[in-house]
This record gives sequence, structure tokens and C-alpha cells, in this order.
Amino acid sequence: MTRGTAHRAAAMSVMGGALILLALLVLPVAALVWRGGAEGVRQLGSDGELQHALLLTAAAATSATLVVMLLGTPLAYLLARNRMPGGSIVAALVELPLIIPHPVAGIALLLVFGRGTPMGAALARAGLGIVGSPLGIGLAMLFVSAPLYVSAAREAIARVEPRYEDVARTLGDTPWRAVRRVTLPLAKRGLFAAAVVMWARSVSEFGAIVILTYNPKVASVLSYDRFTAFGLDAALPVAAVLVLLALVPLLVLRSLRSEARATTSAP
Amino acid sequence: MTVAGRDTLVVFEAASLAAPMRAALDTFVRRTAAVVAEEHGGSLELARRITELHRIPDVIALADHEVFPQLLVPAHASWYADFARNRMVVAYTDRSKYAGEITAANWYDVIQRDDVLLGRADPVIAPVGYRALLLFTLAERHYRRPALAAVLEARTPPRLLRGTAAELAALLAAGELDYIIDYESLARAQGLRFLSLPPEIDLGDSALDSTYARASVRVARGRDSVTVRGAPIMYGLTVPREAPHAGVGLRFVQFLLGPDGRAILRAGQVDALDVPVLRGDSIPSVLRERTVPE
Amino acid sequence: MIALDGVTAHSGDFALRDVSVAIAAGEWGIVLGPAGSGKTTLLETIAGVRRTSAGRVRLRGQDVTTLAPELRRVGIVYQHGYLFPHLSVEENVGYAADARAHVREVSERLGVDPLFDRPVASLSGGERQLVAVARALAPAPDILLLDEPFAALDPRRRVRLRVELQRMHRERGMTVLHVTHDFTEAGTLGDIAVVLEAGRVIQVAAPSVLFRKPATAAVADFLGADNVFAGQVTRSAASGMSELDTLLFEGDGIRLTGVGTHGGGQGHAVIRGEDVVLARQHSMPSSARNVLEGTVAEVAPQGVLARVTVAMGAATLVAVVTDASVRELGLARGVAVVASVKATAVHVC
Repeated sequence: MTRGTAHRAAAMSVMGGALILLALLVLPVAALVWRGGAEGVRQLGSDGELQHALLLTAAAATSATLVVMLLGTPLAYLLARNRMPGGSIVAALVELPLIIPHPVAGIALLLVFGRGTPMGAALARAGLGIVGSPLGIGLAMLFVSAPLYVSAAREAIARVEPRYEDVARTLGDTPWRAVRRVTLPLAKRGLFAAAVVMWARSVSEFGAIVILTYNPKVASVLSYDRFTAFGLDAALPVAAVLVLLALVPLLVLRSLRSEARATTSAP
Repeated sequence: MTVAGRDTLVVFEAASLAAPMRAALDTFVRRTAAVVAEEHGGSLELARRITELHRIPDVIALADHEVFPQLLVPAHASWYADFARNRMVVAYTDRSKYAGEITAANWYDVIQRDDVLLGRADPVIAPVGYRALLLFTLAERHYRRPALAAVLEARTPPRLLRGTAAELAALLAAGELDYIIDYESLARAQGLRFLSLPPEIDLGDSALDSTYARASVRVARGRDSVTVRGAPIMYGLTVPREAPHAGVGLRFVQFLLGPDGRAILRAGQVDALDVPVLRGDSIPSVLRERTVPE
Repeated sequence: MIALDGVTAHSGDFALRDVSVAIAAGEWGIVLGPAGSGKTTLLETIAGVRRTSAGRVRLRGQDVTTLAPELRRVGIVYQHGYLFPHLSVEENVGYAADARAHVREVSERLGVDPLFDRPVASLSGGERQLVAVARALAPAPDILLLDEPFAALDPRRRVRLRVELQRMHRERGMTVLHVTHDFTEAGTLGDIAVVLEAGRVIQVAAPSVLFRKPATAAVADFLGADNVFAGQVTRSAASGMSELDTLLFEGDGIRLTGVGTHGGGQGHAVIRGEDVVLARQHSMPSSARNVLEGTVAEVAPQGVLARVTVAMGAATLVAVVTDASVRELGLARGVAVVASVKATAVHVC
């Protein structure tokens, strides 16, 4: 085999592998939209239960994501700069929820925030019970997807060289100002990507949510419910519409990311 | 599919049958060297796996025999057998409010108290859900309390509904609910305290089927709703027409319906019928001998 | 002005060990040393972005060992500039709060004001370096730390920056500490030189002393300055200070022709032993501008190489040649040789 042929063969196998995986990921989603998309869009206008489910899903996922961005970015920063005491243990602990089976995660949340615990009882008295409430939905979403945000945010911040912060400090910035004026803007793109991943994961969660909150129904619970009660033909439109609607914010966020990219390329 | 020369048996079973079926399968397997794969779920959910997803088991055993004529017969099965009874109970734990007070005589008043959290299943997707409503309707007549059914139904807000009896039991155990309307077999299996209710209302006595039939509820089914009449709770099973290992499936059913199988079921808190009732067409001859055809 | 006393600090793979150094106010200090010797760590310790594990740091007579960097009023320019990529040039230069007033002036002096609206990514390496210096100078610090600031610059910009820095140093009375591996720079700019190796201070002296009397063989080796002569420098043509010119050097008993930008007057001529070619007789014609006759005074073998000391009247020239050459040419004490050095190998500083 000549060198040219060997190169071409290598290039083709790389492309081949990529296409196989792409097909594996795209075809099932395309099939879903193909079979249920039209009916789902039709139902959207008239089906109040569907509308509520979609709105609830989006609102809960967005709230959970915002909360985690607020609380998780500092944690990600400390981990990225190796300033977290017990750093690698903390990082491992943060990732634990990822390996817990989802229904088990829901039960785990009940063990801490359920009515039977002091904290849970206080929450319930304050009207903040997590069973059968949107709060429970957001909590379940947060629990299963926050690890994704923290890991990705940590990577994004670690990619910004600490020296930039050092320089900013020699120019008079306090540590917080240096992070705010230099590190976060430079990490913006990666932080957006992390938020998108977390949001998407939240939207698709089922097992952890359904244990805590069956009613009001999020889209995943509604879809499964309709499958059980009425069959595939009733479930597919819900799932298809969820996919179509989720594309909108995902695309918006991706375009924000590429905007951010234009202004913050690394040196 | 065989695993190294051994027969395989795929069984779909309702969640409330899980423990006793496990025991029965273990015994069967020891005698026949078969390999078993079990799947659990709500009765409707399991039926949907056959009708929608075309995943056919060798044996399917459900907590509501009505699902068979509704969804499975004649398209996927030609016969089915009623093999066990069950009844509705009010289940609770030591931590439930007023646990010390509640009795079979005052349960319908205790669960109405403002600070009591009552859970039941969603009637649209779980048989145990609409059976709870039938229980309430029968109670209204039995205790001579007008409008009792509507009041009891309203005691469970949507947020305390659940899709399966198993989930209800989990929430009860976690302290999130005080009382649930559940099957007796599940309450026993999970070690919950429960109230035995008058047979006139608990859907457990096949001799009282005309009493039960006086109650009905409307349950949504697709765009319409269906009227479901009260009937004794019967567990049903069948070997689907396209079962991949129908032979082994039938042998297991024979075992389960026989004296040894019945003993195992009863030990697992399932009230097995002495004589199973077969319904439908093309009933396998091996079963016909031992049972009373419809 | 800058005083380190027994400072030990760690920075990843690099460390300072028990370093004590003092730079007086208004001095221009040079830090020399091989890669990995801790030069950058030294600057970082003074700026406060690197914590010390032992010792004390004093600035302006005050103990600042535990003082945060944003309070030390020290400017630092790293070798790679580290301009903030998400800000424009003007925003970079004006980054510090007290910089605003001086942004224009400093930028004009360093020639970066035409770049103001340009995004950082579009600048060349040399332009970035100048902007980084402007950014550090804009808040008018009285202490300036430079980490190889000229490395990325083309000769013209290098000279301009050097001239402006020297001017500002004089005008503002700044204390400067400047890391370099280029001893030509060191000689031109520095009042005092600090040599670091493996995190320790090996020698502190004025550059000329350093070159003539390296404290250890390691220092001499690093400086690569086997031959250092002090004397007078004359430019061959009067063609402006910033341009390369042929330079005539006379001093310490030797006359040499070199090439450089020296302005004339007192200076040093430095020749590395590796740049001296030895022959048993003249080879004509040759491009070497310096052809000197002398006698071998000593041959010191060093493995595959040998240091040959050649006496030529009042001066001594050290050549580093291969052992094989020594044998083939029959170099030994008393043998007459002709030493050739190209003008481009004579560093005048």
C-alpha cells in the first residue's frame, strides 16, 4: 500500500466511524419526530395538559440551571484553581449523583427532604414540600444534572490560564474583580456550553422526578403516562413536540456561544 | 432462545405479584432447569409492551383480568385464566396520623381529617386506581353516607396521585403519606399495617359480584371515557399466542395453577383460587383437565 | 527598594531556595540564569502573585511578605504578554484603575496608540509585547519587573523599547528588575546583575564584573563569555544610533572589529571560545575580520573538547576546539598559531 492509499484509508475509517455514531444518535430522534411531530404540533394548540407539561418542564429546567450556575460556578472555580480543601474528593463527591440510578436518586432526596425528616417537615410546613410540587421537580432535575455543569464549568475555567488573574491583580484588581473582569468573560463560552448540557439533561429526566412529583406532570412523565394508558400513538406526539420545542432554546444558546467565541479567543 | 441447552422463560408480572411469583419461579426452575427473565410493572404498562412494543413474553400475569379482554384478547391471546383473588385495603404505618385510632368502622371519617394525607393511584393508568374509586362508591352505599364517594375522591389532590401501587407504598413507607388505598397482597408483602374492610365493599369475594356490579365509575380512555363496573378483583394470566417458548410457558402455568403453585402463592399472601376459571377460546387441553371452563 | 531575605518559594516545577537579594532605589537590576533557574518565580514573588514558604520580601522599606499583589503597586510584564484577549488594546492598556490618566502618554511613547481599536488577537508578537509593557507602565508604578521583554521584538522595536524604558527609568526614578538570557542586553542596561541557578543566587555583581570574573565555572559557562575585554568603541561610520554598524574596539591589549549597535565610547568586547578558529598558519583570503597571531600558552582537555589559551602580547584569547583538532594540529604549549574571529562573533556591549 502506498502512503497515499494508507492515508486515504485512515481518513475514510475516521469519517466512517463518525458517521456511524452520528447515525445512531440522529436516526432515532428523526424517527420520533417523523412519526409524532405533525400530530404533536397539531395537539399543541388545543391540548392544555400538553401545554402545561411543556411549560412546566421548561420552567423547572431553566430554574434548576440558573440556581446551579449561581452556586456551581464558584465551586467549579475553586476546583479548577485547586483551592478546594480535599479537592479531588470533593470533585468525586460532586459526580456521585451521576452514577445513582434515577429512581434511587428520587428516593435519596426523599430521605433528606421528605416529610419524615426535620428539614423536610419544616419545608412542608412552610409550603415548600418537595412531594407533588414543582419544587420537587426542580430539585430532582438539579440533583441529576448539576454534576454535569460543575464538571464542564471546571474545565472551562481551568482552560483560562491563572496567569491572567495574576496580571489583573498586579494591575490593582482584588481577587473577585480579577475573576469577574478576566476569568469569567474568558470562560464564558465553556460556561454556556455547560449550562446547555445541564438544561438538556434536566428536560429529559424521568425516573428521579416521577418518584417525587407525578402531578403536576412534566413532559417526560406525561409521555410515559400516555403510553401506558393509551399506547404509542398517544405518547409519540408528546415526545416529538418536546424534541422540536427543545431545539429552539438549544439553537439560541449555541448561537450565543459562537458569538462569545468571536470575542474571546485564547492567545 | 436457549442458554447452553436450557429452556428460557420470559415472564411479565404485575408488581403486586412480584414476591410470590419469584418464589414460584424459583421452585419451577429447580425442577426443570429453565432460565427465567422477569419483568415487573403496572398491569396496563405490561399489556402495552405487548400491544405497542411487540415484546411478547411467555407468560403474562396481571392484577386485573379485565385488561385481557380489553387489550390482549383476541389479538395477542385467545384465552386467559383467573387464578387468584385480591382485595382492597387501607394501608398505613405506625407513623401515620391517628394510626392508633383508625378501625374498620371509622376509617372513612379518619381519612377525611384535614391533616391526613391520603394517597391512591391514578385511575386512568392503574387498575388499583379505579378500584379505589369503586371502593368509595360501594362504601357510600354500604355505610349509608350520601356523597361519601365524592368526598373521599377529593381527599387526594393530584399531587398525591401516583402511577403504580408500588410507588404509593414507597411514599407511605417514606412518611410522605398517611394512608393509601392498596391491594391486600401488596400491603402484606411490604409489611404495612392495614385495615380489613367489609367484604361488601372490598371487591374481594366472588360470591358478591352482583353487589359489586352496582357500583361504576367513568375512567378516561383516549378521547372518550369508559364505564367500569365493580367486579371481584381477579388476577389473570395467559400464554400469548406468539410466545417464543410457549411450551415452557404452558408448563409453568400448569405448575402455578396446580397444588404446589397454589401453596406458594398463598404463602406469598396471594389468595389463589382452588379452581382457576378459564375464559376464551382454544384453551390448552392440559389446563382444561384441571380447571372449570367458563 | 527591593529586598529579599532568605526567600523560598515554589511554583510548579520551579523553586527559589533561600534567596537574598537587594536592589537599591532607581537601580536597573538584571536577573540572569539558565532555563528553570527560578527567574520568573523570583519576579512573581516580588509582585506578590507567588506565595513564599520562607523568608521576607521588602518593598520600599516595608515588609510586604503577606501583602496582596493588588496593594503592592508593582508592574510586571511576562514574556508572553498575557494581554486580555477579550478586551481591545486601549482597554488593556487602561485596565488598572489608576491607569486612565496616563494611557495616552505611555501609549504614544511606546508607539502602540495606533493599535488602540485593534482586537488583541490581530496583533503580532512584537506588538503584543509593547502593549503589555504599556499596560504595566500606565499606572505609573515605581517598581517594574520585566520577564524577557525584548524576546519577541524585531531589532528596530527592540531598540525603541529599550530607549524608552531607559528614559522612563531615569525620568521616574523607577526601580527595574529585568530577566534576560541575553548578556548583551544585560551589559547595556544593568547596574547590577543577579545570577540564579537551580533556584539559588550564585553571584550578584555589576555586569562587567560578572563577565570578567564569573564566580563559578557554571556561571561562566552559562554566560559563555570566555573572552571579555574592556576598552573603547568607535563606530566606523556616523550613521545614527539605532543602526547596525561596524565597530572598532581597542582595549586590554587587543584590537577587534565587531558588528553592533553600540553608540561609541566605553564598552566591552565579548567573544565566546567556540567562536575562535585556530590554525597553524594564515589562510588567505578569509572572511574573518579579526586574524591574530599568538602562541599557545595552555591546552586544557575537556572530554571531546579542549580549551586552548593563546597568548598574544598583553592579551589572552581563549579558544574552545575539539580534541581531535588539538591532535591533528599538534597544538601544545609554545606552538605558534593564528586565531581568527569573525566580526559578527565579537559582541560589543
